[in-house]
Amino acid sequence: MALFLTQLMNGIGSGAVYASIALALVLVFRTTGILNFAQGEMALYSTYLVWFFTQRSVPVWIAILLAMIISFIGGALIERILIRPVEKASPLVLVIVTIGMFLAINSIAQVQFGNDIKILPRAYPNKTWLPGGVQISSDTLVLVGVLLAECLILYVLLNRTRIGLAFRAVASNPESSRLAGVPVGRMLMLGWAMAAAIGALAGALVIAPVGLQGASMQEILVYSFAAAALGGFDSPLGAVVAGLIVGVAGTMTTQYLHAVHDIELVVPFGLILLVLLVRPSGLFGSRRVERV
Amino acid sequence: MTDVRRGAGARRLRAAALGVAFVLVVAACGSGRSAPTSTANTTPGGSSTPGSSTVVDASQCTSNLTQGVTGDTIKIGTSLPLSGTYSPFNAILKGESSYFSYVNALGGVTVAGKKYKIQLVSKDDAYDAARTSSNVDTLINSDKVFGLFNVVGTKNNLGIRESVTYPNCVPDLVIASGAVQWGNTQYPFMLGSELVPYPDEMQVFVDYLKKNKPNAKIALLYANDDFGQSYRDTLKDLVNNTSLAIVKEASYNAEGSDVKAQVTSLAASKADTFVLGGTLLACPNALNAAHDAGWKPLIYMSGTCVSKLLFGLGGDGADGVLSVTPLMDPGDPANASSAAVQLYKNQVKKYAPDADTADGIVAYGWSTAALLQKILESSPKLDRVSVMETARTLKDVSGVGLQLPGSKWNTNKDDWFIGETFQLVKYNKAAGHTEKIGSLTDLDGKTASLAPKSLLNS
Amino acid sequence: MTADRARIIRLVVAFGVLIAAVYIFGWYIPQFHEQGTTYLWAEALYIGVAAMGLNLLTGYNGQVSIGHGAFFALGMYTTAILMQSHDWSFTETLPVVAALSFGVGVLVGFPALRVKGLYLALVTLGLAVLFPQLTNRFVPHDLCKTCGTSQVGELKAVKLLPPSWTPTFIKYPDQWAYYATLTIAVIGIVAMYLIVRSRFGRALIAVRDHEAAAETVGINIARVKVIAFATSALYAGVAGSCFVLVKRLATASSVSVFQFSIEFLVAVVIGGTATVLGPFIGGIIVVFTGRWISESFPSTILFWHINESVKNLLSPAIFGIGLILLMYVLPDGIVGGGRRILNSRLRSLRRGKTSPAST
Repeated sequence: MALFLTQLMNGIGSGAVYASIALALVLVFRTTGILNFAQGEMALYSTYLVWFFTQRSVPVWIAILLAMIISFIGGALIERILIRPVEKASPLVLVIVTIGMFLAINSIAQVQFGNDIKILPRAYPNKTWLPGGVQISSDTLVLVGVLLAECLILYVLLNRTRIGLAFRAVASNPESSRLAGVPVGRMLMLGWAMAAAIGALAGALVIAPVGLQGASMQEILVYSFAAAALGGFDSPLGAVVAGLIVGVAGTMTTQYLHAVHDIELVVPFGLILLVLLVRPSGLFGSRRVERV
Repeated sequence: MTDVRRGAGARRLRAAALGVAFVLVVAACGSGRSAPTSTANTTPGGSSTPGSSTVVDASQCTSNLTQGVTGDTIKIGTSLPLSGTYSPFNAILKGESSYFSYVNALGGVTVAGKKYKIQLVSKDDAYDAARTSSNVDTLINSDKVFGLFNVVGTKNNLGIRESVTYPNCVPDLVIASGAVQWGNTQYPFMLGSELVPYPDEMQVFVDYLKKNKPNAKIALLYANDDFGQSYRDTLKDLVNNTSLAIVKEASYNAEGSDVKAQVTSLAASKADTFVLGGTLLACPNALNAAHDAGWKPLIYMSGTCVSKLLFGLGGDGADGVLSVTPLMDPGDPANASSAAVQLYKNQVKKYAPDADTADGIVAYGWSTAALLQKILESSPKLDRVSVMETARTLKDVSGVGLQLPGSKWNTNKDDWFIGETFQLVKYNKAAGHTEKIGSLTDLDGKTASLAPKSLLNS
Repeated sequence: MTADRARIIRLVVAFGVLIAAVYIFGWYIPQFHEQGTTYLWAEALYIGVAAMGLNLLTGYNGQVSIGHGAFFALGMYTTAILMQSHDWSFTETLPVVAALSFGVGVLVGFPALRVKGLYLALVTLGLAVLFPQLTNRFVPHDLCKTCGTSQVGELKAVKLLPPSWTPTFIKYPDQWAYYATLTIAVIGIVAMYLIVRSRFGRALIAVRDHEAAAETVGINIARVKVIAFATSALYAGVAGSCFVLVKRLATASSVSVFQFSIEFLVAVVIGGTATVLGPFIGGIIVVFTGRWISESFPSTILFWHINESVKNLLSPAIFGIGLILLMYVLPDGIVGGGRRILNSRLRSLRRGKTSPAST
């Protein structure tokens, strides 16, 4: 039982990361209808920024905050400069643009900062508690805490403020919002900006214990896409729940399902297929008229 | 008006069409391309003839044996991961380029009385065997290199075996992999580097266990690729018929480095010994996970992870971890007075200022480049067959790069492995470097017999 | 009179271009270049074949897949295993690969009916990352006995020689790989022209443009979509077989299969969606850009010295930025955009004429 709970905690720990990045993917998708393949690499670049600041003896938390602010601005600028000109193009063109960004950001980050492993200082002490044999690490607690905080802030921002109202209006119907005088462009920038900032935070926290390098975010991105699809691409709540499901499914299959050893990905993607067959718009997704 | 213009256009087009036809006729008369430098138009394969004094059979080679040697330059090619999950291995390139810059600044390597500068052409393969194969094609046929050097990865080198063997006869020297497949006698143009062959690693650790922990219950974590499977297969073989036992094994996805769930599962097995057949970030991740689980087994970690950086990332979990190395630890102050270490540090600082000289991966690159120089300089003639023959008959090579004092590297017709003399080490976290355990281990000539036959000849 | 002349001119030009293409692709590339270049062109061709298949799905039928690397790998492994462990010849493996990838395409295509647009892209992404895990787990041990423990099924050189029935100008393995791929590409192009111009082709486009309307005129949407999916899988699978001849091994990792999928998609889009030849031009660009960058990149820009390692790292950046810029300038790809520009030029030319020529 202790083993089961430990693996559950492991799963929740990695699931929290997938959930954070999935949340970023959902924010971008809701506002601009884009699958952002570059989301992971944007987070990677932000994490390099954190490393860059800490190298210049900026305290870690401040460095993360700085990186989040820069990412927030950077995300908005990416939307304005790179995405806006092709806003009306076919989804395929948009996919290609984000793939271009994926390639470019990844290689620019490595050229700029070097392609060796970087060690990020931890933002909090690494501790493990073993109540009743169940292993709970500070990593898991922090990741889950941050995820909860992100959810709370997003909830308040989206549902309790005027900006949030405008944001949701744009997400559900950009044309009518424009007619109603909502600054659509700014809202789209806000979506990308928030996504980038969330990615920065998640990236810095998840990479700190394992070392930063060019491919750090790629595996995470695949799982996060799985989570976003499972949750329904337009539902933040769905992204969070599905992120945790994907994380836990991964550790549980490693522990208990020997038939699928080395093919653990079967489980999350099997889940997605099942869910999409029953509910083509994901667990929590709403049916949506497609942008064509 | 427009009609006239169209007419002119049409005439121009017709002329163009005629031109094309003319080119065609001319070209059809022209001969085809000259015979490529390397083709498989004779029956390939064939192992070294038993009983003959040479290992390499020159009569089976059809390629230009001095390709890549122009004037006083030798062009050498390498392919390694500079991007992707395995990109930290780019530290190898830093070490080897520094060494070649250093040697070239002194005038170059001396082969058969003449000095040659080394020109290293490097290509990124992201640890993808298909890209290694393309890179090697380009290196051999377009860049016209003399041979390959320090190509990284087990599967990556397995994928180019047919490109370098007879009749192409391209030396694939000092491969950055300790797999036993380099002992397959069908492929005499491949030779592993000084990296300790993986079966030797397992042998020395099993010996250590027999002596110090005869009833060890072993948990094994390995990468789910050729590299990781080498550890699994040899360990299983060696543990057979001993009082040791593998109580639990788990594999991780070699394309990532997330091993937490696997280690939790291994820790729950209550094993008292942990063998880590992974590389790069999977090593520190596993050490951290074991530490976090409160699991305190005796840990043996792959020799490919002996690096200050990786030990450092392992945190408290890295303390007391065992491994092997064929080289001196540049981070150990006890070695600071060694002339070899000083030379290494000064030159790497000069030519690759961003490299961490205390890191074992950089030191590996440096030392392997020195080994290449040694092989080239020992060769009586500068052609592919002679160089390969020389590499296959090394006698008591010592003092190469950061080679351990007292260590001697040998190869001969029955011994196809270099790195069989090495040191068992233990990482001391407080001191920040490795410490020797006992004296040098010498398994010279024994690797082929230690390795599972199925693996050796695969 | 003028219309006749125009037709004759057009015929002459088309004939000239065809002859030139036959000469360049059929003789100049494989006969006058060294092995590395011939292999590289063969690579461009098989990426073109796979992209052409994907284009049937994406360009003509409007379904986006980022998982066709999986079918590609399926073809690759099937051919490699049959050649290596069962001593089949390359050509013998092709019907098996075609049937198998078409069959698997149907199997995957059915669930894909339920999901639309970008969700389909994600399901296929799952396919791309999952497939290599399956091969790594099952292929080396149970299917490919002679592959040993290796993830890499490397083919013996003797199996890559041109078969005895080939004409004498196909001397070397690289030429055999090239001509085999070229033949497959030509068959693929002809088949694609026929498909696109057939009833089925029109049905594909109708489904893409307006599903509901297509249904009302009696088109069986499910059948059209599944067949489109399976046909594109077949193209990808056969392209994967060519990979074996060109790279002389079979290997698949999540990263590489995903990369293939992306390369195919990129080739489709930069070449031009819903054009037959666009994907080939895209394939050529995808394959040669990397090489061109690494060969012609300056080693110093102003005061910045660029070493080999940085050069290697920079090439994806240049490719990525180029991709983005291309999408701004020619969102309909090179062939699509080129045709659009050419047509508008022609139209403005014709506007000056008194009687517009019939087209």
